[in-house]
Amino acid sequence: MFERLKPHFPWITLFALAGIVGAANPSFFNPGGLALLVSDIVPLFIMALGMTFAIYIGGIDLSVQQIANMVTVIATVFLAPLGIGVAVVAIAAGLAFGAAAGFVTSRMYVPSFVSTLALGFVALSIAKWLSGQRALSMDAAMREESFAWMFGVTAGVPHEMVIAAALLAFAWFLQSRTRFGRALKAVGAGELAAVASGIGVDRVKIAAFAISGAFAAIAGLMFSVKLSGGDANLANGFLLLAIVAVLVGGTPLTGGVGGVLNTAVGTLIVMVIRAAMVYLEIDATQQQMVFGLVLIAAIALTIDRSKLRGVVK
Amino acid sequence: MTEFTTVTAPRLPSRERIVKWAPLLVLAFLILLFPVFEWLEDFRGGEDHFYLLDSRFFSIRNAARVAIAATPALMVALGVTFIIIMGSIDLSMEGTVSVTAVVFAFAFLAMGGTLAGHAWLAIPLALLVGAAIGFVNGVVHVKLRIPSFMASLAMGFVGTGLALLVTGGDRVRVEDEWFRSLLTVRWFSFPVMCYVALLALLAAWFIQSRTILGRNFYAIGGGEDLAKASGLNVERVRIMGFTLAGVFFALGALMAVGRIGIAETVTGKDFMFISITAVVVGGTALWGGIGGVWNTLVGVLIVNVINNGMVVIGLPSFLQDGVLGLLVIVAVVLSTNRKSISFVK
Repeated sequence: MFERLKPHFPWITLFALAGIVGAANPSFFNPGGLALLVSDIVPLFIMALGMTFAIYIGGIDLSVQQIANMVTVIATVFLAPLGIGVAVVAIAAGLAFGAAAGFVTSRMYVPSFVSTLALGFVALSIAKWLSGQRALSMDAAMREESFAWMFGVTAGVPHEMVIAAALLAFAWFLQSRTRFGRALKAVGAGELAAVASGIGVDRVKIAAFAISGAFAAIAGLMFSVKLSGGDANLANGFLLLAIVAVLVGGTPLTGGVGGVLNTAVGTLIVMVIRAAMVYLEIDATQQQMVFGLVLIAAIALTIDRSKLRGVVK
Repeated sequence: MTEFTTVTAPRLPSRERIVKWAPLLVLAFLILLFPVFEWLEDFRGGEDHFYLLDSRFFSIRNAARVAIAATPALMVALGVTFIIIMGSIDLSMEGTVSVTAVVFAFAFLAMGGTLAGHAWLAIPLALLVGAAIGFVNGVVHVKLRIPSFMASLAMGFVGTGLALLVTGGDRVRVEDEWFRSLLTVRWFSFPVMCYVALLALLAAWFIQSRTILGRNFYAIGGGEDLAKASGLNVERVRIMGFTLAGVFFALGALMAVGRIGIAETVTGKDFMFISITAVVVGGTALWGGIGGVWNTLVGVLIVNVINNGMVVIGLPSFLQDGVLGLLVIVAVVLSTNRKSISFVK
C-alpha cells in the first residue's frame, strides 16, 4: 500500500500544503487570486520544464538564468526591427547555447555543472554587450502589436496558462511518446548501458541541453514581454528556484526518474510555499528561512527513495 | 669487437603525468600570458617595456592583491573539496558563510568588540556554528536519504534565511584594529590573512593525507559499495565530512569579514559557483576519488588570476564574464584525462 502510494507523494504534498494554507486563510482559494498566482509562476515553470530534460539525463543546466537574461535583452533590442520574428531569434539563441553546452559536456568531458555555468557567463557577457549594461524598455506600440496575445484572458483563463499547458503537453509528448524520450530515459538510467545498446548518447545529451536552452529562452521572452523591457540581470533569482521546482517534483539528480509532469507539480509546490508566506503573514526577514525548512520537508516527502539506485550521493 | 649499448629513448612524459600537472601548467601559462598584453600595449605606444620586469600584473603588489581576493574563496573551496572527493556535493556554502559571518560579528561586538579583550571567543564560536550547520547538513543528507545536492541547497537557503533573520537586513561593521590587522598588517608584502590561509591549507592537507578520515573520503569517492563492504561506516564519514566542510566555510566567513570589515546577509554571495568551479578547474573530479587540496589551491588561483588579469589589462567589463567562462572550459578540458573516464554527467 505504502509502496504503491510513493509515486504520488508529490501530488499529495501539493494538496496537503495547499490545504494547510487554505485552512489558515480561506481567501487563498479565491479563483481569481489563484489564477493570478499561477500565471505569475509561468516563466519559472517554463524554465523548470526545460531544466527537467537536463536533470532527467543526470546532468544539470546552470545556464538557464543567464540565457533568459540574454533573451530579455535580445527581445527588447530587436523587437522594433523584427516584430514577432524576434521570438525565432530568441529561441534559436537559446537552442544554440544549450546545444553548445551539450557539446562541451558530452564531447569535451566537461561536467555539465561547469560547462553550463561557464556558457551562462558567455550569455551574460552578450547580454551586457547588447544592452550597454543599461535597463532597456520595449517600444510600447510594437509590444502591443506583436505580443499582446501572450497576456490576454479568454473565458477567464489567462493566456499564459494556455501557453504553459501547451509547452507542458509538448514536453510530455517528447518525453513519453517519442524514441528520443525513450533514449533520454535510457541515458538517465545508465549511460554505459545506453551506449552498449547502440543509442547515440552524445546526440541525445546535446538535444536535451538544447531543449533546456530553448525553454529558458521562451521563459526569458515571456518575462521580457511581461515587464516590457530587458536587462542583463532581469531574470536573476530564477536559477535556484527552477532547480528546486524540478527536485521537489520528484525528479532527482541521479537521472532516469521523474519527468515533466513532476516538474509541473514541483513548480506548483514552490508557488504554494511562496504564497503561504504572504497568506500566513510571515515576516519578510523570516521568509527565506521558512522557505528553506519547508523545502527540506517537501523534498524529504516527495523523493521516491526506492528509485534512487544504490548509493545516495 | 662490438660493444652493445642499450639505447634508452629520452623518457617522454606520459599522458597521465601531463594531465596531473595540467592545472599548474595552465596557471603558469596564464601568469605569463597577461604580461604579454601589457607588453603589446606599450610596444604599440612606442614605450620601453621589458617583458615581465615592467609588468604591473607580474609584481609582488599585484600578487598580494590576487592572494587577498583568493583567500576567502580558498577556504570555502577547501571545505567543499573533501565533499567532492567523496563524490557528493555541498551547495550550502553561501548560507553557511553568511550566517557564520553574522554570528561572528554580533558575538564579537557583544563581547567587547576587540581581539585584545574577550571578543576573540567569537572566533571559535563562529567555527562551532559552521561545524553545527555542516553537521545538520550531513545528518539531513544521510539520515533522511536526500541526495547531498538537494539537502545542501535547501540548507543553504536556511542559512541565508537565518542570517537575514539575525541581521534584519542590516550590515554589521567589525572595525576592531586587531581583527582588521588580518588585512592591514603585512609581512613580506602579504597581509596576515594569507598566512592564516596557508596554515588552513596545511591543516587541510594534513587531514587529507595523514588522517584516517582523509583516507576514508577517498575510499568512499573511489567506490562507496566497496568501502561499505570492507566495513567502513560510510554514514559517519559523510556526516564528519560535511561537518569539516562547515568549519572551513566558517573560516572563509572570518576571512571575508576580515577583508571588508562588514558582515551581512550577502557576505556569502557568489561563493557557491566560484568555489566549485575552482575545485573542478584544479583537477578534482566531480565524480569523486580524484584530486585534493593542492589541486584546489591551483584552481582557486587560476580563477582569481584570470579575474585579476582581465582587470589589469583593461578588458572591457562586459566581456569579463564571458572570457572567464571560456577560459574555465579550456582549463577543465586541458586537465581532464579523457582516457580514464567514459562519460561525464
